[in-house]
Amino acid sequence: MATTTDRSTRTRGGNGVSAAAPARTDPTRIRSPRTFNIVAGIVLGVFAFLWLVPSFWAIKTSLVSNETASLGADAILRSTDPTLASYATLLQSGQIWNWYLASFVTSAGTVVLTVVFASMAAYALSRLRFRGRKLVFVLILAGIMIPAQVLIVPIFQLLDSFSLLNTYWSVIFPQVPAVIAVFIFKQFFDGLPKELDEAARIDGAGVWRTFWSVIMPLSRPVIAAVSILTFVTVWNNLILPLFVLSNPDLMTIPVGLATVQGSYGQRFADIQASAVLGALPLVILYLLFQRRIVEGVAGTGLKG
Amino acid sequence: MTTTPGWSRRRLLQSALAVGGLGAAGALSGCGSPLAAGLAGTPLNPGTVTFWNLFGGGDGARLQTMLDVYVQEHGGSSSLQAATFAWGNPYYTKVSLATLGDKPPDVAVAHLTRSQNLANADLLTPITDEMLALVDLSPSDFTPKVWDGQKIDGTSYAIPLDTHPFVLFYNKDVCEQAGLLDGSGTLAPIQGVEQWEAALTAAQEVTGAFAVSSANVSENATPWRLFQTLYQQHAGATPFLGDGGTQLTVDEDAALDTLAYIRRMSEQGWLPRAIDYAGSQTQMFTGEAAFYLQGEWEITTAQGVEGLDFGMVPIPQLYDQPAAQGDSHTFVLPRMDRTPEQMQLAMGFVRSMLDQSLTWAKGGHIPAYIPTLESQEYLELTPQADYAQAAEYVVYDAPAWYSGSGSTFENTVGAQVGLVQQQRLTPEQAMAAIRQQLAVYLDTQSPV
Amino acid sequence: MTTQTLRPPAEATTTARRTSERRPDSRPAWLFLAPFGVFYLAFLIGPTVYMFVVSFFNTSIVQPGLGTFAGLGNYAEMLTRSDFWSAMWHTLQFTLYTVPPLVVLSFVFAVLANRVQRGQWFFRLAFFVPFVLPSASISLIWIFLFTPASGLWPQFQSLIGLEPDAVLADPSLAMVGIAVATIWWTIGFNFVLYLAGLQDIPRELYEAASVDGASPWHQIRYITVPLLGRTTTLVIILQIIASLKIFDQVYLMTAGGPGISTQVALGLITNTAFTDYRVGAASAASVLLFIVIVVIAVARQLLDRSDREA
Repeated sequence: MATTTDRSTRTRGGNGVSAAAPARTDPTRIRSPRTFNIVAGIVLGVFAFLWLVPSFWAIKTSLVSNETASLGADAILRSTDPTLASYATLLQSGQIWNWYLASFVTSAGTVVLTVVFASMAAYALSRLRFRGRKLVFVLILAGIMIPAQVLIVPIFQLLDSFSLLNTYWSVIFPQVPAVIAVFIFKQFFDGLPKELDEAARIDGAGVWRTFWSVIMPLSRPVIAAVSILTFVTVWNNLILPLFVLSNPDLMTIPVGLATVQGSYGQRFADIQASAVLGALPLVILYLLFQRRIVEGVAGTGLKG
Repeated sequence: MTTTPGWSRRRLLQSALAVGGLGAAGALSGCGSPLAAGLAGTPLNPGTVTFWNLFGGGDGARLQTMLDVYVQEHGGSSSLQAATFAWGNPYYTKVSLATLGDKPPDVAVAHLTRSQNLANADLLTPITDEMLALVDLSPSDFTPKVWDGQKIDGTSYAIPLDTHPFVLFYNKDVCEQAGLLDGSGTLAPIQGVEQWEAALTAAQEVTGAFAVSSANVSENATPWRLFQTLYQQHAGATPFLGDGGTQLTVDEDAALDTLAYIRRMSEQGWLPRAIDYAGSQTQMFTGEAAFYLQGEWEITTAQGVEGLDFGMVPIPQLYDQPAAQGDSHTFVLPRMDRTPEQMQLAMGFVRSMLDQSLTWAKGGHIPAYIPTLESQEYLELTPQADYAQAAEYVVYDAPAWYSGSGSTFENTVGAQVGLVQQQRLTPEQAMAAIRQQLAVYLDTQSPV
Repeated sequence: MTTQTLRPPAEATTTARRTSERRPDSRPAWLFLAPFGVFYLAFLIGPTVYMFVVSFFNTSIVQPGLGTFAGLGNYAEMLTRSDFWSAMWHTLQFTLYTVPPLVVLSFVFAVLANRVQRGQWFFRLAFFVPFVLPSASISLIWIFLFTPASGLWPQFQSLIGLEPDAVLADPSLAMVGIAVATIWWTIGFNFVLYLAGLQDIPRELYEAASVDGASPWHQIRYITVPLLGRTTTLVIILQIIASLKIFDQVYLMTAGGPGISTQVALGLITNTAFTDYRVGAASAASVLLFIVIVVIAVARQLLDRSDREA
């Protein structure tokens, strides 16, 4: 069952306060004893600080020279003349642009195919009457329990037999059948008034026209949610591209970072800069769409 | 959260895409672009030699020099695309999967022991005399031990570049204070356990810490090299594996004796109990240890240490015969369809690298290319000349589909040897663990 | 947009459905299902079936065809291999190290964040952003923090007078290091789930408790904790399933080492298939892991259903 989605519908449907919206907007909130809240704030502040240390350290290290970085933590902390040399080295080498390209093409490609195909399937399951609908639904339902990572070996062989290894398709295709996307779409379509389709079809629109011109334009929020979550998932996938893309020119960002070593030497600053560059597009994505991402994650229970 | 107006968010996105686009433009240009290759499976960079290697250590710097020369002589940076991968199994896995996926590099480096496995798995193009002749090479250009070593049933699959034995680095300042140098300032010959231990004791008195350093933390290959070197010095030492890897043929007594000796060196405090790869070098560089055991490729790292005066010799013969663990780097041509031009290009690259064997030799490796090996310049290189003889008695890992440099076999045995050095296991416990862990592989039908 | 637009109430449409379902649209329906169905069969069901088939053969990745029939040989091998069991144990060990802190800490963070009036965006930034980052970045950052001797962590240890650890190089600590990095990386996920759960608890409950003079601590103890029980069950199960599939951090941070002290199930599977070329044996191991995960996933569904019916 689409339990997680059900759950969040129930949990958040009622009071109109989305998960992401801070509680301070709720006028009914009770002011608890001040001291407790101050202590809570301090404890949380300390943890938040701890949580920021690794990111801060990576950024700080990426801004010193490789020589300074190789001297250790103390030298990095004391360094006062930041340099962008590591970033310049990486961005000029050209390879990282190929990796960005691969990540972008595979993520965007998967998003397009997943959104179109999953919404179509969901529409059929939600709106169209046909024999075997229950069975199809149960079959797709079963797919949600299949751990795709565990299928890496047969998927590799399958792609090999299709001669798709070392193409972007080898990363895109196996990630298209995201069953969860069908559920999210179906749930949304189930909630749209039936009258919309009826009216369109009475006007003589076919099933496709109804779906494409009436339903989909109304589905922007759910399309956005599925798109963003799919994009992040594909961008961050390691195990699939790691084994199906073995040529450095075709690797995605995580695989390139993980497998290709640069020139010889202690290049701690370069390595941290590469970690930052690998993370940067997603930090930007988060800042642009933070509420949608947080909601999507909370709503679907998507995880690794 | 505050709501960002839609238009400004869109603007932000657009500018982000524009920035990305600028960079992507570089990646997109050209008909052999990654985009075309990634979507349509077209060949990548025709006319460019792609070359993969696993040289992340000191020899990586030498290789870079050689590649720069190739690039200069062959029309700029578009003539070559080189990639370095993590050493060991991850590298060979990449080469295998890329070949299966029809996008292998034109030329790849492989250890001689691993080239055998790649060849058996039908992942390599055989090297014929005609191919060698394309670039005026012939089998007689290579040292017979290495050339014959790479053949499988008379067919060649690899073009040897070097031989690299496990050697002894020594800190001259420490050894001088310990009275271990001869008149010419090189290490006085050491033979037999007694002399070796006397040297260790003298060295330890000077360093106040350790006498000899050898890595065993996060590192399985080095303990294996140490073990194999000392084990093979025993009279009648048999290969560890027999019959293509289906039999455990190790001489149990000699193996236990070797493990016991490694543990003894650790217990005596001569050898650190636990030290990682970089740390083991640092100990010798900083005089915390007089000796350091590693492959000769770390010469570049040692030369880069300011104020360090060091030398290199073959590992002293402690037992009945000289022996040193080692392997050879070779060039292999992964299996793929090649036009005559591509073949010429690939062989031309190999030839260019062989021609620069002297640069390579400066990085420690003993050339397999005879014109360089016998050249005056090479003979005059020090300390290279001091250990070159070790190439003659290098012992390769026993052939098996799971054996060779950085292999599962080395990892399995090396891990246990490392634990003996850490004094966590007795020699008997280590042998039992090795026996048990290898059983799976011994009993398994070879997948190649 | 808020969640209402995302998931409109279902009841509103039930009556509408009755009227429109008279006309069968079999053809368009199958056409609409086909594209997704093709990918679903080709890349989810197909591989699953193929994995089961191959697990009974001595299939090699570098040889054509299935190879010789192995019967249950691959299973027998895996079930008697000490490194298979050690990989399973390390997978469990990872689960044991990560699940309790991930559940408890994220709960505490969420409850506290819910109480703090200001700066919610900051806490979400601090705790949640790591979750959207690639494992490769995470691993590079943590390997560097743990660099023996010169890294930030060993230097901090020295500063407070402890013996510095070579965390990832020590067989007894390496998994702890991986677990710490994982907790840092993924806590945001649970944090967000708990925050969502907290929004669901009616304010009136707290109001009533407050009127009765219950301290904030008692409110948490007797209202928040029990009412978040459902979320906690969900978090724990999702966490266990994710832990069983662990691969990235181990591959990137220790490659299963030192020795095989952090090798996990998926690491063993990929090594067997791609390094040893033994797809048949790897498939048998995959099937075993697959079964474990599916059993837990099914248990989750059953639990959830009975929970909902109750």
